[in-house]
Amino acid sequence: MNLFLKGGEVASENTAPVRADVWIENGRIKAVGADLAEPEGARVVDVSGKIVMPGMFDAHVHFREPGGEQKETILDGSEAAINGGITGVVMMPNTSPSIDSATVVKRVLDAAKECRIPVLTSGCITVGREGHEMAGIDGMKKAGVLMLTDDGDAVPDAALLKRAMEYGSEFGMFFASHCEEPQLAGPRALNEGAVSYRLGIEGTPALAEEISMSRDLALAHATGATLHIQHVSTAIGMEQIKWWRDERGAKVSGEVSPHHLMFTDEDIGDYDTHYKMNPPLRTAEDNIALLEGLKNGAFRIIATDHAPHTEFEKSRAFEDAPNGISGLDTALVSLFDRFIDKGEFGWDLIVKRYSAEPRRMMELEAAEVAEGKSVDLIVFDPNGETTFTKEFMKSKSSNTPFLNKTLKGSVDMVMLRDEVLLER
Amino acid sequence: MARKDFLDIVSLDREEIIQLLDQAEPFKDLFTRSVKKVPALKGKAVLMLFYEPSTRTLSSFEVAAKRLSADVTTFDVPSSSVTKGESVRDTIDTLQAMRADYIVVRHGLSGQPAAIARQTGASVINAGDGAHAHPTQALLDAFTLREKFPEMEGKRVLITGDILHSRVARSTSTILRKLGVKVAFLGPGSLVPKTASPDIPRFTNYDQAISEFGPDAVYLLRIQKERMAAPFFPSDREYHNLYGITDERLRQLAGEGTYIMHPGPINRGVELCDAVLDYDRCLISQQVENGIAARMSVLYGLKPQTS
Repeated sequence: MNLFLKGGEVASENTAPVRADVWIENGRIKAVGADLAEPEGARVVDVSGKIVMPGMFDAHVHFREPGGEQKETILDGSEAAINGGITGVVMMPNTSPSIDSATVVKRVLDAAKECRIPVLTSGCITVGREGHEMAGIDGMKKAGVLMLTDDGDAVPDAALLKRAMEYGSEFGMFFASHCEEPQLAGPRALNEGAVSYRLGIEGTPALAEEISMSRDLALAHATGATLHIQHVSTAIGMEQIKWWRDERGAKVSGEVSPHHLMFTDEDIGDYDTHYKMNPPLRTAEDNIALLEGLKNGAFRIIATDHAPHTEFEKSRAFEDAPNGISGLDTALVSLFDRFIDKGEFGWDLIVKRYSAEPRRMMELEAAEVAEGKSVDLIVFDPNGETTFTKEFMKSKSSNTPFLNKTLKGSVDMVMLRDEVLLER
Repeated sequence: MARKDFLDIVSLDREEIIQLLDQAEPFKDLFTRSVKKVPALKGKAVLMLFYEPSTRTLSSFEVAAKRLSADVTTFDVPSSSVTKGESVRDTIDTLQAMRADYIVVRHGLSGQPAAIARQTGASVINAGDGAHAHPTQALLDAFTLREKFPEMEGKRVLITGDILHSRVARSTSTILRKLGVKVAFLGPGSLVPKTASPDIPRFTNYDQAISEFGPDAVYLLRIQKERMAAPFFPSDREYHNLYGITDERLRQLAGEGTYIMHPGPINRGVELCDAVLDYDRCLISQQVENGIAARMSVLYGLKPQTS
């Protein structure tokens, strides 16, 4: 492949986009610079007015294989990622069976070999995510697991989590917590508040997340474990992470999901299950606080918590419908439409929080559009638009409020190593 | 413009409510005649689909539909395919094939009747869903109160008990407020959520509620044990002492001429003592009778989109 991206703006994690041409040859970036001469024999693509930046990396996705292939397979999920400008993902282990042993890890990573982007997986902290026995940490580590999580649930037994942190940290593993105190969380359908009262469904109070998070952060601090807090939905939760990190030096970080920045429980309206996920959508005040946190560095990464479910499952009554929102196809475009285009933050934040930092968290090199680097880049058209029809989305499921909506921005190209994965 | 479905009170405006109440009056007059039926729904099929056990609401709807000359079928949920794991959506597809014009649904999950209504052209009537809504109960409550207070504006109703789990509290408070009635909630702190409504006064002390709010009617709710997975107050006895209508409280209410209402079924010795049932301003049996007229009015007013 010999390709010349002409006239674009190159985005990086540290600066605003810079006008530069990009010359790609044989899977490497040969040159980056303003007004480069068009190389002989290269295919020239006019990307003027468009953003050229590293591929995104999503460290929190639910591909339903094994056990839930009707919702999503590893292959379909990886194609949804590419469709959204994402060139690497980390699977969560709440499949069926759970990814809690070297055997299942190998089975999953074997299936992932078909994919056109790297698909990594996390592993469970406890066997079957049941919170009783420690999962086979050494075997999973050898099979390639770095992140341990019982995502979907908190580990209910604090003593067990403490011992797992003491044990697993010695293998160089880090922990990721879904924070939710189960008794307080109740049936887990929506936020507790005026909306849950109006709809007549028992809500999950913000308190359920705050208490559980407080416990896990203290455990990480006490054991010296590295802990990443997943999909923070509450302002107080976010404040706690910052406090332990900045005031106590704990090795803790947090992630925020696009939907927790964009939607509130009011959006549920008349039982719209596209707005049903766990942790639930909270209030407008939480939206504002989380967005502020993303801007001021409270969160290390953005991650979708991509959670596909079939149309039939989501057509059930609100309480019976499963929790989850599909995210990979829509994340980048929606973040552009809602925030970048409105001047809330710049491309540097997206590159840092949705590309560089999640890769570093997974001990990978951050992708960069810079001379000599391996090709891992996307072209985004801020003047384009995207309509998220079922046909457009590559995920097997289409459980998103953006279904059939048109948003500003479009992922025009995705390139990885020596291959153009997507071009439109 | 006639509605297809009757799912909640929130989406009705005041005029629609008044029309439904006015429309119920001639139906009630019918009950004292020797022939209690009218041919309004002759040839129409009404299906009763009750996923939760019910005696009074189910039979009230059956009587209402029959007095409108409809053909009534009661789908026997407990012994049906539902208990064999069939989803509601698939059950409705099956029932569609039986060409019901009206489906009366009670379900334990909030929002289920609305989901069914989106799936079928039949008129769906919510006969109670989870803790969400019980709109025909609200309509009969408003009808009953209007019989006593033809000018409802400014009257005061104190709804007492398990506000948190009660679909009746939600629907009845909503309809009364739309009609200009002032509503307050009274009950244990754990059962009267602070998030319920900023416009509804919240009391946790009986005497304070009576003296500060001065209700024209006290509306008692049953303590819904079946909806409570965990304890919300120490004991029935303590509840009765703090919030129940005891003999002494009944004497006080009688002195003020306060009406007592209750959606049934009642729990003697919990929310009320035996003497309440002999109180001349206890409206419980009128509520039951008016329920038939109110439900006839609802059935009569809907427009199924079935050919």
